Amino acid sequence: MKVTFRIRRFNPEKDSKPWWGEYTLDNVDPIDRVLELLHRVKWEQDGTLTLRRSCAHGVCGSDAMRINGVNRLACKMLVKTLGAGDHIKVQVEPILGLPVIKDLVVDMEPFFDHYRAVMPYFMPKEHVPADGRERLQSPADRERFDDTTKCILCACCTTSCPSFWANGKYVGPAAIVQAHRFIFDTRDGAAAQRLNILAEPDGVWRCRTIFNCTPACPREIEVTRAIGEVKLAIQRGV
Amino acid sequence: MATIVTTVTEVLRYRGKIGQWSWVFHRVSGLGIVLFVCLHVVDTSWAAFYPDLYKQAIAEYQSPLFTIGEFFLVAAVVYHAINGYRIIVLDRRPHLWHLQQRAAVLVFVVVGIILIPVFVLMFGHVLDYYDTDPEFVSIAEIAETQAQFAIGFVVIVGAALILSFLQAIINGENISDPIPGMRRASQLDIWFWKFMRVSGLLILPLVFGHLAMMHVIMGVFDITAAGGDVIGTDLVNQSGSAVEFVGDRWNFLVAGVAVWRLYDGALLGLIVLHGFYGLRLVVNDYAHNRVVNRALNWAIVFGAAGLILVGSAALFAGVENTAEALLQNIVARS
Ligand code: HEM
Ligand code: SF4
Ligand code: SF4
Ligand code: FES
Repeated sequence: MKVTFRIRRFNPEKDSKPWWGEYTLDNVDPIDRVLELLHRVKWEQDGTLTLRRSCAHGVCGSDAMRINGVNRLACKMLVKTLGAGDHIKVQVEPILGLPVIKDLVVDMEPFFDHYRAVMPYFMPKEHVPADGRERLQSPADRERFDDTTKCILCACCTTSCPSFWANGKYVGPAAIVQAHRFIFDTRDGAAAQRLNILAEPDGVWRCRTIFNCTPACPREIEVTRAIGEVKLAIQRGV
Repeated sequence: MATIVTTVTEVLRYRGKIGQWSWVFHRVSGLGIVLFVCLHVVDTSWAAFYPDLYKQAIAEYQSPLFTIGEFFLVAAVVYHAINGYRIIVLDRRPHLWHLQQRAAVLVFVVVGIILIPVFVLMFGHVLDYYDTDPEFVSIAEIAETQAQFAIGFVVIVGAALILSFLQAIINGENISDPIPGMRRASQLDIWFWKFMRVSGLLILPLVFGHLAMMHVIMGVFDITAAGGDVIGTDLVNQSGSAVEFVGDRWNFLVAGVAVWRLYDGALLGLIVLHGFYGLRLVVNDYAHNRVVNRALNWAIVFGAAGLILVGSAALFAGVENTAEALLQNIVARS
């Protein structure tokens, strides 16, 4: 089958504004993934096409982009899911709300700043565990935050959120998901501090429950639910 | 401000699910209602302070342009209320998020089911009125009155901008600075987050009651029907003047209590606080410049305070004297 790509291009050294490039590939296998096909465009047609990827298996979270209008990991999208027939059209553009460095590569630093703001690391209740060896936790307590441990920080959620588009200071769903993972961990001792940070004006209150983030998450994390739980925890405690 | 354009174009381009549209409709309907409430509180206060202006305002409400607006207004309130209820329920029960899609569709369905009979009744009033071959206020006159409101808005926002600009100069701020991000956690945000939900629940029956009385059971046209019943009272609008209608309602006592004044007062306070805080949420999304953001926030505070002041002054003053004077006028003339 054939695939025609329409790709949003921007090279700050040459272009005054972004433009759309069209590239048609033959001999495409329906179960090829968008990432492989973007590689083919780069290798066979235009070596200047710039994108970011690392693992190519949905683990590292580096190839988030907007594919046919929704945020996806290019490495997880089978091309056959993007259309029917033997000539499929695919539109690819960078995720929105972070500065574009070149073509599909955005500057993730502001995103990671928000991530760091919620103190996304374990802060133990006591320095030495009770038995001096292990911090034990019941399966039920572990289950409480299981969903939010799956986040790979790809930014699909944050850059799908109209509140984030409107105001890049909004801490964003990904950072809240990461905070949730520690706030509801019985072994962690800094829930109150994190809730305090998320109660700031640019914290959870900017979420208007629009629900773009949840279907965007390639890890199928219940993002808006996690945000809702954090909102309630700010009001009632964990 | 630039992000307003981004948000509008990208909401159209991003293929979000229905929740994105729920948000668009909720925000647009909320803003539309706020705009109308500003006009409506001011012109209702004229019933107490400038009876002639009030009659003119009601005459304009009866013109075709406003009749179209009235249908949009009712649709906006019904959608905003039902969708607001959905937001409140899901906020309390985050684990029900898998039902969100269906809930958003259900909201549209319920709104449709409510609006069909409501629109049929409202349209009936329109037809009845048009059968009487009424004379309408001209578009030019309407434009003239509404232009005053527009000028009022511009003056308030302009004054706030100038004051904020002056403050920036006095404090030696750089006027192109963005608002400082990530300020410390404030109880205000938490309090108002809860308030938006609690007030929404309280407004729901009040505003539905108000719309039912003034737009559905009775039409805007019946406010000026001589010899017509005054809804919510056992009185009759003898003169057929809009001012007498308001006076009858405000002076109607149940066990010595002016129930409709209390009702209108509660509606006024809750709607203005809810609506203007909502306005603040929207402003803080899109106005990032420190000077502009501060100015708009002030305009919101003064606007809300002003409306509550004007509205309650009218409720306290009442319209008894003017209504009586009117009646005597008519008796004298006939
Ligand atoms: C009828 C009952 C009503 C209910 C149940 C209701 C509910 C709500 C809720 C829950 C929110 C918060 C949304 C969020 O934080 O994401 C909200 C926002 C808002 N409401 Fe209402 N509301 C009602 C009536 C009104 C009225 C009468 C007005 C106008 C005066 C109004 C204007 C607004 C505005 C401007 C917003 C902000 C919209 C936004 O942030 O996108 N609401 N409403
Ligand atoms: S649910 Fe909240 S965080 Fe997610 S897209 Fe909507 S507003 Fe953004
Ligand atoms: S929550 Fe999901 S979409 Fe958001 S950064 Fe984590 S993995 Fe990506
Ligand atoms: S390349 Fe690592 S997640 Fe796609």
